[in-house]
Amino acid sequence: MKIYIKGTGIVSPQETFLAGDFPDEVIEYREARYLKCIEPPYREFIDPMTVRRMSRIVRMGVCAAKKCMQDARISMPDAIITGTGLGCIEDTEKFLSSMIRNEERLLNPTPFIQSTHNTISSAIALAIKCHNYNSTYVHRGFSFDNALQDGILFLHENPGSNILVGGLDEITDHSYMITSRMGLWKRQSVNNLSLLEYDDRGSLPGEGVAFFTLGTVNNNNAYARIRATDIQYKPENPESVCLKLSRFLADPGADETGPDLLLLGLNGDPHSDSIYYHLHNKLFKDRHIVYYKHLCGEYDTSVSFALWLAAMIIKRQKVPDVIKLKPFETGEIKNILIYNHVRGINHSFLLITRC
Amino acid sequence: MEELIQNLKHEIIESLNLEDMTPDQIESDTPLFVEGLGLDSIDALELIVLLEKKYGLKIDTAEEGKKVLYSVRTMAENIIRHRNQ
Repeated sequence: MKIYIKGTGIVSPQETFLAGDFPDEVIEYREARYLKCIEPPYREFIDPMTVRRMSRIVRMGVCAAKKCMQDARISMPDAIITGTGLGCIEDTEKFLSSMIRNEERLLNPTPFIQSTHNTISSAIALAIKCHNYNSTYVHRGFSFDNALQDGILFLHENPGSNILVGGLDEITDHSYMITSRMGLWKRQSVNNLSLLEYDDRGSLPGEGVAFFTLGTVNNNNAYARIRATDIQYKPENPESVCLKLSRFLADPGADETGPDLLLLGLNGDPHSDSIYYHLHNKLFKDRHIVYYKHLCGEYDTSVSFALWLAAMIIKRQKVPDVIKLKPFETGEIKNILIYNHVRGINHSFLLITRC
Repeated sequence: MEELIQNLKHEIIESLNLEDMTPDQIESDTPLFVEGLGLDSIDALELIVLLEKKYGLKIDTAEEGKKVLYSVRTMAENIIRHRNQ
């Protein structure tokens, strides 16, 4: 069965939402500690009496989901499936801070109600009055992969249906401070467009929301096809990732010629990035590399941004210069391999192909 | 009383995040729920927390809540009554 990407809706630190396409000019954050999303015009998508109670990530999620349905020209999805690493942390922080401040008394209900990870998929369902299958996956770096896998299984069981699958995570000052202590991020401000030029450890954190309308029937306007997905948890060494990837591409359905382009999750941390270069040298030395985290930052579900980017490249048959690791001329792009890992623990593989 | 009503209107807007609304747009005697301002049960909980936190007025039963939270004026009247007890 073929799985088509029929619509997209994305909110990111770039001007992606309104354009609905890769922006002509990317935004350069010259002294960035972390990348925050450019927020959509909420009032155009959400009722004012509803939007007032939503936190930033819920608003962004509902807008991206509605935009995605508009793009695919559907009004009611047969399922809403989301993946999020940390969920609605802004409301969680409000709720927990309020608990401490008020000594566990007189807690405001709204942040508590909205602090759960499935708030966004529920808010989308409420906004469009959708009573269909609704599920949220929370599994750190695999959260979006798991949501996508569930979506694919749903489509196998319900051919002909159209579903919404999304990946989303937000960053706040507080979460940035806590994760900084874990040594995940660069100690100084960085220029996002030069992310791979820094020698020190750590990456640039970010956030984003990306939704996809998936279906088994091509409406002749589909962006691309999701050919295969796989994950690998805590591989022992780079060689085991190479082995896993070789098997992934050798599975029935994968093109014999392999991917035309590698979309890698390079994040500017030399230690973390070494595996990408190892993989390239070992398996795909003659293939070009493109990367994306200088545009959206590092977060648990950033692979959803990569999927959107891959879908755009396949549909437009254009590779923006700003994502090329080294300059190259673009030929025909039939297959894109997305490979990303989160802190060396959660490794994701997606093969995206032309319709 | 009128000063308290004005303060309450500001606090309602802030606590319920009624971004597009100004205090002048909230009528003192208009029902806050369903008709009028169109608030719902979650807003009621927020207002109960507001009244207890800011004015020490505790609402113990649903019936009492309906009376106290009927309008901005009833809220103010109950706050004054509570202060005088």
